[in-house]
Amino acid sequence: MTVNKFLRTIFLVDLLQGLALTFRYQAPKEIYTEQYPLQRPNVAERYRGAPRLNVNPDTNETLCIACDLCALACPEHLIVVTSERNEKTRRKELTTFTYDLSRCMFCGLCEDACPTDALELTQDFELAAYTREGAIWDRQTLEQGPQPTVYKK
Amino acid sequence: MPQWLQSTVDYVTKPNSMTPGWYADPIAGMIWALVYILIIFGGVSLVVMAMNWLERKALAHIQVRLGPMRVGPHGLLQPIADAIKLFIKEDIIPDGADKVVFWLAPVAVVMTAFTVYIVVPFGPQHAVTDMNIGLLFMLGVGSLSVLGIIMAGWASNSHYPLMGSLRSSAQMVSYEIAMGMAVVSAVLMTSFAGGGIYGTGGASATGGTLSMIGIVQAQAQQGTWFVFKFFPLGLLAFFIFAVAMVAETNRAPFDLPEAESELVAGFHTEYSGLRWSLFMLGEYAAMVAVSSIAVTLWLGGWMRPFQSLHGPNVEIPHYWSGGAIDLAAALVPAAIFFLLAFFTFIGVVRMPKHPIFRVQTAGLAAFGLALGAIGLVLLAPPVRDRVQDIFWFVLKVAVFMYLYIWYRGTFPRYRFDQLMHLGWKFMIPMGIAVLILTGALGVMAQ
Repeated sequence: MTVNKFLRTIFLVDLLQGLALTFRYQAPKEIYTEQYPLQRPNVAERYRGAPRLNVNPDTNETLCIACDLCALACPEHLIVVTSERNEKTRRKELTTFTYDLSRCMFCGLCEDACPTDALELTQDFELAAYTREGAIWDRQTLEQGPQPTVYKK
Repeated sequence: MPQWLQSTVDYVTKPNSMTPGWYADPIAGMIWALVYILIIFGGVSLVVMAMNWLERKALAHIQVRLGPMRVGPHGLLQPIADAIKLFIKEDIIPDGADKVVFWLAPVAVVMTAFTVYIVVPFGPQHAVTDMNIGLLFMLGVGSLSVLGIIMAGWASNSHYPLMGSLRSSAQMVSYEIAMGMAVVSAVLMTSFAGGGIYGTGGASATGGTLSMIGIVQAQAQQGTWFVFKFFPLGLLAFFIFAVAMVAETNRAPFDLPEAESELVAGFHTEYSGLRWSLFMLGEYAAMVAVSSIAVTLWLGGWMRPFQSLHGPNVEIPHYWSGGAIDLAAALVPAAIFFLLAFFTFIGVVRMPKHPIFRVQTAGLAAFGLALGAIGLVLLAPPVRDRVQDIFWFVLKVAVFMYLYIWYRGTFPRYRFDQLMHLGWKFMIPMGIAVLILTGALGVMAQ
């Protein structure tokens, strides 16, 4: 044992260094915890959360062309798209769009497959529902986004 | 003041000519003792609650967390919420438990923890009683708490509590020896007449003492706290005691009897609700009691820092010992409360501005105002002079309480063989060496 190490042991230098470290970490600026419902966490830019079906902001019409590519891309087959042909414009129009969030793994393949950027995984993360059926989102929920309860006192 | 009240006050406060500060009439002494018992019981319970909050808060901040934030401003009312929860919780007694011993164990722990406060000297006149074997009484009764722990472990009829209580008894037995050596060296120091750090100068005229008040008075007379007496010796004895007292109270890093990762909760695994909270109350009360022994023996009890610089053989500039310093020291209690009020004010300003926090912000502001009001009361000269001793004593104990939390946030738990290694191979030989050297130095200087 060298003299230096011996002195360190005698005067408990390591213990004192540990105490100094924990003392420094008590400064309020070091606190990492967020007060969640009131203080919103900063979600990462590439976070994939709640799906959204985008609408044209001017006309309020859906951007979805009912091409069914997202349903084909989905490895879990949890997207069901139904459409009907509009005889006047001779185009396919979206009727229903269901998305089963309870089976979704947020891989983002549907979003990549979408040719019109209609389907998008947003940064919303509050996906809890009271029932299993609540996790199956229909077209209206997908267009509006999740509406979590805002808790007041 | 009406006549009867005046005469009662006169009767109760008539001083004793033999021992100044104590009361002439036995009945008056008993009344005062009762008043002190009530104050101490309430005060210690309050301190335990405050300690509960402070520990969770300080520990959280050490671990870069926030700690309790929801119940009251900054979680200030959390201990009250916890107490209510524990009161209304179901009180489970396991089927195979020894009912009577199971019931007695927490009572034994709390009783011993509170009984030792009888001799704690908060000031030259502020104590329930001044026993001539005060220190012996304190250590003797304090050691009984291990009995409660063993009772709990045995009565639970379950393996984790039994292991916890076995560990606790082994730990207490091995650390009590080192603790005793350190304590005896401090008692030895009371029997020297000389002042200052090395001025020994033969036996004291009054002899050594075991009285808690007498020990502090000996420090005042010798003009030095016993940590500094015979320089490294007093400090070493204090160090041994400071380590042993953490082991005695089963706190981290010596918390093997209740090691969560190994023994679930150790000796109180089977306890719930009110009984469990009695164990916690006893543990925290014992922490305060043991800290107050350390403060009394080595840190000058109720004496304020540098009071001993007025000593007979210490040459100091005139202005140091003047009334200005006394006045400045007398103003410190009020200043501390104003400082606390200021911190609370900062807390109020930094409270989140969300409307949900409006009530909490108001509550915190009221708390700060109360602290400021206490500070103002402490400024008044009659209050200032009477409360000073208590204030310095409590401040020193509070530092120890913070140290307990700080240790818990810093040091990992010892393995059991490491604990025994430290106790038997370092603490006890060191304690014996310190005791012998203290005696030798005392004899040599005669």
